[in-house]
Amino acid sequence: MLDWFDAYTGTVLNGLALAAVLFVIAVGLSLVFGTMDVLNLAHGSVSLVGAYVGVAMVGDSASIAAFVAAVLVASAIGLVLGGVLAAMTAKVSGHLRQALLTLGVALIAGDVLAEVFGSDVKRVRAPEGLDGSTEVLGTPYPVYRLVMVGVGLAVAVLLYLVLERTRLGAIVRATVADRDMVEAVGIRTTLVLGGVFAGGAALAAAGGLLAAPVLGAQPGLDDTILLLALVVIVIGGLGSLRGALLGAVLVGQVQVLGVALLPELASFMLFGAMGLVLLLRPAGLLPAPGRRA
Amino acid sequence: MSIRPSIVKQLGRRASLVPAAVAVALVLASCGGSSVSGGGDDDGGGGDEGAALDPVKIGLLVPLSGVYAALGEDMQQGFQLYLDENDGKLGGAEVEVVEADEGESPGTGVPAATRLVTQDQVDAVAGIVSSAVALGVKDLFVESKVPLVVANAGANDVTAGGSPYIWRSSFTNGGVAAALGAYVAEQVGDGSVYLISADYAAGAESTGGFKETFEAAGGTIAGEAFTPFGTTTDWQPYLQGIRASGASAVYTFYAGAEAVGFTTQYNQFGLKGEIPLYAAGFLTEGGVLEASGEAALGIQNSLHYSDQIDSERNNAFVEAYVAAYDEVPTTYAVQAYDAAAALGLAIEAAGATDSESIAQGLSEVGEIDSPRGTFSFDENHDPVQPYYLREVQEVDGVLANVVLQELEQ
Repeated sequence: MLDWFDAYTGTVLNGLALAAVLFVIAVGLSLVFGTMDVLNLAHGSVSLVGAYVGVAMVGDSASIAAFVAAVLVASAIGLVLGGVLAAMTAKVSGHLRQALLTLGVALIAGDVLAEVFGSDVKRVRAPEGLDGSTEVLGTPYPVYRLVMVGVGLAVAVLLYLVLERTRLGAIVRATVADRDMVEAVGIRTTLVLGGVFAGGAALAAAGGLLAAPVLGAQPGLDDTILLLALVVIVIGGLGSLRGALLGAVLVGQVQVLGVALLPELASFMLFGAMGLVLLLRPAGLLPAPGRRA
Repeated sequence: MSIRPSIVKQLGRRASLVPAAVAVALVLASCGGSSVSGGGDDDGGGGDEGAALDPVKIGLLVPLSGVYAALGEDMQQGFQLYLDENDGKLGGAEVEVVEADEGESPGTGVPAATRLVTQDQVDAVAGIVSSAVALGVKDLFVESKVPLVVANAGANDVTAGGSPYIWRSSFTNGGVAAALGAYVAEQVGDGSVYLISADYAAGAESTGGFKETFEAAGGTIAGEAFTPFGTTTDWQPYLQGIRASGASAVYTFYAGAEAVGFTTQYNQFGLKGEIPLYAAGFLTEGGVLEASGEAALGIQNSLHYSDQIDSERNNAFVEAYVAAYDEVPTTYAVQAYDAAAALGLAIEAAGATDSESIAQGLSEVGEIDSPRGTFSFDENHDPVQPYYLREVQEVDGVLANVVLQELEQ
């Protein structure tokens, strides 16, 4: 048992690092769907924008301060993009139309990014001081990935405090559960919704940048990210913070530990896990309480 | 019933909300979409030499969008450089180039090829990056009797059957890998080699080609892994497997974004210093090498070209290419350059520019003097060419694939 643990510590850690960025990216998608009932297919594009902010501001080398600055800029841009997307989708009713609209935006955004940054794979270096390896139980492990786990945890705790312990969070949760009732007590839900959309997009952009030292930045990455984020929220359950967290951790471990244990099933494992969850718990493992189906 | 008009209306109404950037984006995107450009239409003019050759219309089918667009650009440049060096002519015939966007899959590549053949009625087509596209359009060219010179796609089956209309100026996946087998077997001696590559046709063919010559030279395999193609972002579990296998070297095939991911993670997880990495040269070619950075230093790989080849022919080519495009040529550029050269020689040999004559001419070109060294076509119409053992080193501050030796085949 101890041997097993020794051999797979790195793998488990790695799954957590992947889960951390997936969580940061997917939680916005989940909350937007929960509050606004909008399936935002441009979510992956927002993440890719964040990654390209990293390419422009960090590129080959940067101090930790410059990297943090880039994360802040990416978040700000994400905030604006989220606001624009919220305004665009606010008056479009029906999932199909919203999906078509946001998919169109995603396609255009993908082409524009390829036009501006070229279609080569770009890399973003981890900030100086965090770009080396450290020993974890005798095997070298990249420091930056440990930082990713830490950042993911910090974001989760922060979001939990905001959503569960503040008045603002209570309003957001109430909007997820029953929009009409929130309107009835005199709160403009469109503002709540726009705020959630913008905040979610800001997290997505920041997540895209955090993931860039591992995933890089290239055309097509937006689709990969969107797909993984969708799987995360389908597994975790729509509209809930804890669902997104659980979904991200599961997807991370399935992608990494599952592959290590059963390599020949690697291609099917992710969607197999999703199918299993859909069969047993069609609403996801931890859906938002009180959400109307 | 009226879904589309109403969406258009919706979009129109929203247009005022969308920032100017998106409007600009729309314009850009629509420009990118129209993929037809070409040489002059006035092919009737300027016959000052009184040449008897009719103008020739060549379709250049390369990815202008999607994940392979960078390769497409290299190939456009290589093809154009050959034309520029020959006064815009192929074998003495005026050329009209019709470009079409291959995209990244048969979904876009097949219609584009069909349009070139049926609508634009080109005399011959060069290009094609993706093996899936090449396999998808092969029958189209054979049936319409239009010659196709594949300038990248390396699937072994593309040229199977040796149709008089299908030629290839690039490589076969198996060939690139096979060239490395004996050398690696010699390097590892009593040790064993772990094989890891992307789980699709090219990865399987590359691994197969390597295995064949490696085992024939007495090498032993420590283990094999195929990673899901296009969705693998994390190699740590596989790298763990390599470490656990006790292999003394690794052979790998990756291209594009996956090449960057694999190379950097091989370094990050500390395998680079411990277990030598051998690869098909696509792992460290062109923009991919730049993105991998110093993580790629020291990787030994095989390919049929490097801009570092020190021959008179190649030095002149590199100089001309850098002068024209301000970047060093990639293998992809050379393959397109040579596709143009093959078409030029074929037209010259046939003395005519119709499809049938060009196909006939291609079988008579003999040896082609290429920047990669001379090559000729074998009975399958694949290139018989030198393969080089290359190593990533820093040359004048930039990473380059330095040629260590020519590999024996």
